[in-house]
Amino acid sequence: MRVYRWKKSMKRNKGVSQAVWMAIVAVLIIIIAVMGVAWYLTLPAPEEEEEEKPTLTVFSLWSGGEEENFLQCLGNFTEETGINVTHYHYTTTDLLIGVPMQLRAESSVADVIIAPWPAWILELASEGHLLEATNLITATKYPTGYINAVKDANNKIWASPFKASGKPGFWYKKSFFADNGLSVPTTYAAFKTLLANITAISGIEEAVASGDTDGWPLSDTTEAFIMGLGGYQLQEDLITGPSARNWTDTEVRNVFGNLTELLAADYFSDPAEWTSQITKFWDEKYGIYFMGSWMTTMEQIGNVSDLDFFGFPGTDGVGGSVDYLIIPKYAPHPDEAKELFQWLSGADAQEIMVGLGGFFGTHADVPATAYTTLDKKVLDFISQPTIHIVSDLDDAVGGKFQTTFWAQLRLLWVSPTTTTMNDVLDALEEQALAQQT
Amino acid sequence: MVFVFYPIVDTIYMSFLEKGTGEFVGLDNYAEVVSRKEFLDTKRLANFFGGPSYGALIHNLLWIVIHLPLVVFFGLLLAVFLRDVKGSAIIKSTIFLGIVIPLIVGGVVLRFILDKDAGILNGILRAVGFGASVRDWTIYPDTALITVILGSVWIWTGFSMIVYSAGLQGIPVELYEAAKIDGASRWKTFWRITVPMLKPATIVVVTMTLLWELKIFDIVFVATLGGPGTASTVMAYLMYLEAFYTFPPDYGTASAIATILTLMTFGFAAYLVSRMAKS
Repeated sequence: MRVYRWKKSMKRNKGVSQAVWMAIVAVLIIIIAVMGVAWYLTLPAPEEEEEEKPTLTVFSLWSGGEEENFLQCLGNFTEETGINVTHYHYTTTDLLIGVPMQLRAESSVADVIIAPWPAWILELASEGHLLEATNLITATKYPTGYINAVKDANNKIWASPFKASGKPGFWYKKSFFADNGLSVPTTYAAFKTLLANITAISGIEEAVASGDTDGWPLSDTTEAFIMGLGGYQLQEDLITGPSARNWTDTEVRNVFGNLTELLAADYFSDPAEWTSQITKFWDEKYGIYFMGSWMTTMEQIGNVSDLDFFGFPGTDGVGGSVDYLIIPKYAPHPDEAKELFQWLSGADAQEIMVGLGGFFGTHADVPATAYTTLDKKVLDFISQPTIHIVSDLDDAVGGKFQTTFWAQLRLLWVSPTTTTMNDVLDALEEQALAQQT
Repeated sequence: MVFVFYPIVDTIYMSFLEKGTGEFVGLDNYAEVVSRKEFLDTKRLANFFGGPSYGALIHNLLWIVIHLPLVVFFGLLLAVFLRDVKGSAIIKSTIFLGIVIPLIVGGVVLRFILDKDAGILNGILRAVGFGASVRDWTIYPDTALITVILGSVWIWTGFSMIVYSAGLQGIPVELYEAAKIDGASRWKTFWRITVPMLKPATIVVVTMTLLWELKIFDIVFVATLGGPGTASTVMAYLMYLEAFYTFPPDYGTASAIATILTLMTFGFAAYLVSRMAKS
C-alpha cells in the first residue's frame, strides 16, 4: 500500500515537473525572441558600404618603351580617380583577329582598346560591337581627318584619336655619319650615292635596316617610296582603290622599279624582327633605318641626342597613323571605361604622354612646349606646308589586302627581280579589286 | 554528335552561301577558291622547277610527298636501332618531346633553328666552311616551304618511332630465331619479317601523319606566315585568312576551303582505314 502511494505521488510529481519545465522553456523562448526583436529594432541603420572600384583592362599594341610611358600615364589616371588599370600588350594578330572573335561572341575582356585601324573600327561599329563615342569627346578639338576616319555614314563617331605618329623618314646616328664623312641627301640621286657610300664602310652589313614582324615595317618603307617618288596623291589614290588607281599603272611600276633596283643592289638587309634591327642599327651594322616617330622611345637607342633623321629626298608626303581608343559594347565596366576613355582623350593625359617622348598629341590644347627637342623636330618636319600627311596605306585599306601587302613585300624584299615585282603588283591589284567589290 | 556532326554540316551549308547577303550561290564559292592563284597556281605548277608558290593545294600535297616518307623512314629506323639499346627509353623520350610540345612552340623552335644569326643550322654551316650558304631559310621563296617541311620531321618522328616500337614488341621472337637457324641475314630478316609484321603499325603511322599534314597550320603560321608572298601557304592557313582577316568575314569562302580540306581528309582516311581493316 505504501509502495503504491509512493508511485502515485511520483507520477503526480513527475507530471507537475514536466509542465513547469515546459512553461519555463516557453517563457525563456519568448524572452529571447522579444530581446532579439528589441535588439534588432534598436540597431542603427546599416551604413552603405563603399563599393570597391573595379580594375579596368586596356589592350594595345605597345610594348617596351612605349608601354612603359603609357603605364606612367595610366598611373596618373589611377591617382586622380582611384581606378586601377591593367594594360596588356597585344600583337597585331592578337588584336586584329582575337578582339573581333571576342566581340562577335558578345563578350569582351577589355574595357578600352587602342588600335590604329580605322577601317577595322568602322567594321566593328557597323556590326554593333562598339559604344558610340560621339558624345564622349569634343570632336572639334581634333584634326578633322582623324575624326572623319572613324565617323560612319550617319555621322556617328566610334573612336577617339589618342596618339598620332608620323613616319618622317630615315633615322641615322649622328656620330656614325660624322665619323664616316656622310651627309644627309637632298635628292634621290644623292640618296643612292649615300647608300653606296654606307655599303662601302667596313663592318657594315647593309646600308638600310629592314624591320619585320609580319611584314609591317616593310610597308612603311614602301609607302615612303610611293610618296617620295610618286607623290602623296599616288598614295591617296591607292588607298581609294582601283576606281582611282591601279597597282599595275605605269606610275606605280616606276616607283616599285626604283625600289626593286635598290633591293637588287643589296642596299637593304633581309627582313628581320624590327626591334632587333634597331639594336643592330645602333651597333652600326646598318647605316640608316626607316621608322616612325616612336623611334625616340625605343630602349635600344643608347643616346637619343645622337639620333637624327632625314626625310625621303624631295617627298611631298609622309605617312601618318593614329592610335584610336574604342570601348567595346560588352566592356565589363562601361561607366569607368568611359571615364578612362574621356581622360585619355583629353589634353592633360596627352600632355603627359608627349612629355615622355615619341608621342604626338591629337588634342588641340596640347602645348607645343611639351615636346622633347627631337620630337619637336619631327613635328616641325611633318607640319611643313609642303608636306601632306597621308594615312598609312595598309591600315587604311585594311582587311585581307593588308596581309597580302605585307606578304608580297616580304617576297619582293628577298627576291628583287622584275618578274617578282610584276607578280607582286598583280597580286596587290587582284586583292584590291576583290576588296573593292 | 552536337560537337562534331553539327559543325561539319553547318560548315558545308555555309560554303554554299554568299558572304555579304547569305544567299544561296551554289558552287560559286568553290569555283572562286579553285580559280585563285593562292590556292592553285597552274602557271607556276607548269614550271615546277622555277620554285614555289604553286598554291596551297599543291603545297599540302608536297607536305605529304616529302614529309610522310621521311617520318615513316626515320621512325622505323629509330625504333629498330633503339630496340636493344640500353637506356633507349631516355633517348626515345627525348625524341618524343617533339610530339609533346605544342605545335606553336615547335614552330618557334623551328624558326630559331633556321634563323640567320642565332640558328643552329647556320651555325653548323659556318663551322664546316659553308659560311657563304648562310641565310634566313624561312624568308626566301625557294627555301621557305621545303625547310619548314624538313624541319617539321623531327616534330612528328617521335610519334612514328613510338608506334613502331610498340609494333616491334608484338613480333614473336620465335620468328627471328627460326630465321637465324635458317641462316637468314639481318637485312633479309628485316625485310622478310620485321617490315611485313609492322604493316598494321605502318598503316596507323601513315594515316595519322597524313591527317596531320593535311590540316597543318600552326607551324606554317609561326614560321613563315605562309610567305614570302604565298610561297609556303597551306589550305588551313588560307581558310584562316578568309575567315578572320577579311572584313566582313568571308565565311562562305572559308567554309568552301574547309569542306575541300575535309573531303580530302575523309577520302585519304577512309582509304587507309579500309586497308587497315583488310590487313
